Amino acid sequence: MERVQPTGENYANPRTCFFHVLFKAAALAFYILSALFFNSFVIIFVVTVLLAALDFWVVKNVSGRILVGLRWWNEINEQGESVWKFECLDQESLARMNKKDSWLFWWTLYLTAVAWIFLGIFSLIRFQADYLLVVGVCLSLSIANIVGFTKCRKDAKKQIQQFASQTIASRFSSTLQSAFSVV
Amino acid sequence: MAKMSHGDTIPLHPSSQSDIDEIENLMIAGPANVLPARPPSPPRASIPVSSSPFLPSNLPPPPPSAPAAAYHKAPISASPPDAAYHKAPISASPPAAETSRGGIAADGFGSLPNTLTEPVWDTVKRDLSRIVSNLKLVVFPNPYREDPGKALRDWDLWGPFFFIVFLGLTLSWSASLKKSEVFAVAFAVLAAGAIILTLNVLLLGGHIIFFQSLSLLGYCLFPLDVGAVICMLKDNVIIKIIVVSIALAWSSWAAYPFMSAAVNPRRKALALYPVFLMYISVGFLIIAID
Repeated sequence: MERVQPTGENYANPRTCFFHVLFKAAALAFYILSALFFNSFVIIFVVTVLLAALDFWVVKNVSGRILVGLRWWNEINEQGESVWKFECLDQESLARMNKKDSWLFWWTLYLTAVAWIFLGIFSLIRFQADYLLVVGVCLSLSIANIVGFTKCRKDAKKQIQQFASQTIASRFSSTLQSAFSVV
Repeated sequence: MAKMSHGDTIPLHPSSQSDIDEIENLMIAGPANVLPARPPSPPRASIPVSSSPFLPSNLPPPPPSAPAAAYHKAPISASPPDAAYHKAPISASPPAAETSRGGIAADGFGSLPNTLTEPVWDTVKRDLSRIVSNLKLVVFPNPYREDPGKALRDWDLWGPFFFIVFLGLTLSWSASLKKSEVFAVAFAVLAAGAIILTLNVLLLGGHIIFFQSLSLLGYCLFPLDVGAVICMLKDNVIIKIIVVSIALAWSSWAAYPFMSAAVNPRRKALALYPVFLMYISVGFLIIAID
């Protein structure tokens, strides 16, 4: 393993990246290749959907936190309303996140959704409603993660801007105050 | 202007210039524990600490109330323009400000990084315990529970996923032919049924949250899962009918409090009838499979 160069970086969390990609690739591969080996729809369905659900959990709870420092979830508050919460690390830690990690994170997220859409189109053309069910479930899980993390990232950017402007405003007024007191 | 930054949080005292003079006196007199020129943060909604979506790293938010209280005390004791007299009320607040800021900083730094930086094993354990507690809450109903609608607040969809898949697998295993179709039909009927039942409650004007209701209807399948396993092992029709009726009654009894709490009492039957219908049809599927 070569030393990390100062300009280019290696992956900061290789194990997390590996797991992030593992379940997605396994679900896709199993779905595509299983038609060659297994004749039973049940096994294909159960294993593919299980892998997709595990991938959803891993992305939402583990790799989202570690690779890009974002997290989203849903809570039901005291009044019985559902509230979507988006959470991110503070600004310093976000800036320190590995660029390669986040590149991998976002690209694999989008690519799997696109792959499932293609597979869905294939099964639609072949009029296989039950395979369409599998693709539908996996696609909805991928899209849920994409939407959740995109909203989280937008929220994080908005918070950074607000925080920056507030910091600037408070520091500005405090310098004004000190300047005014000196006068 | 200096006053504008906290003028919105405090009603402006008519003698604002004298306030500034008194504060200048304090700072020039130099008591160690008076806050330096540091206005409270610009008016904004106070950060709800436990659920704040953003965690500022280097500036713990000064609690808006404490410095405001400090500045309030200056106008109140404005009349005797004595620096020594001003020291007393104001010096009381900065230690309070320090401790409350320390308290808020501790809460703020304590709650958020715990979920963002916790080890993976903690997340797994948390989710597993949530599944188990939801199962206990739903399936072993306590008739003396105060508020049934509140009980599945921490909804999760893992439990329903496992139960639906398990029921489909059991039915498919028991079927001697057309196994794939049986599985697909069972899964689709249960999943679509849960969604449609939730929409039904929402359209009847009920107060229920989509995912909470999906989660509930999935967890209430647990007794039917148990019944299906028993029916798979024993092939006698009479035993099947008895077991399925018991499982059905248990599932309906588990689903009843949540559904009935969610709708208007006059529309209770309209909301509950489709639920019973779905469970009865699943029960027939279990009995009729061979």
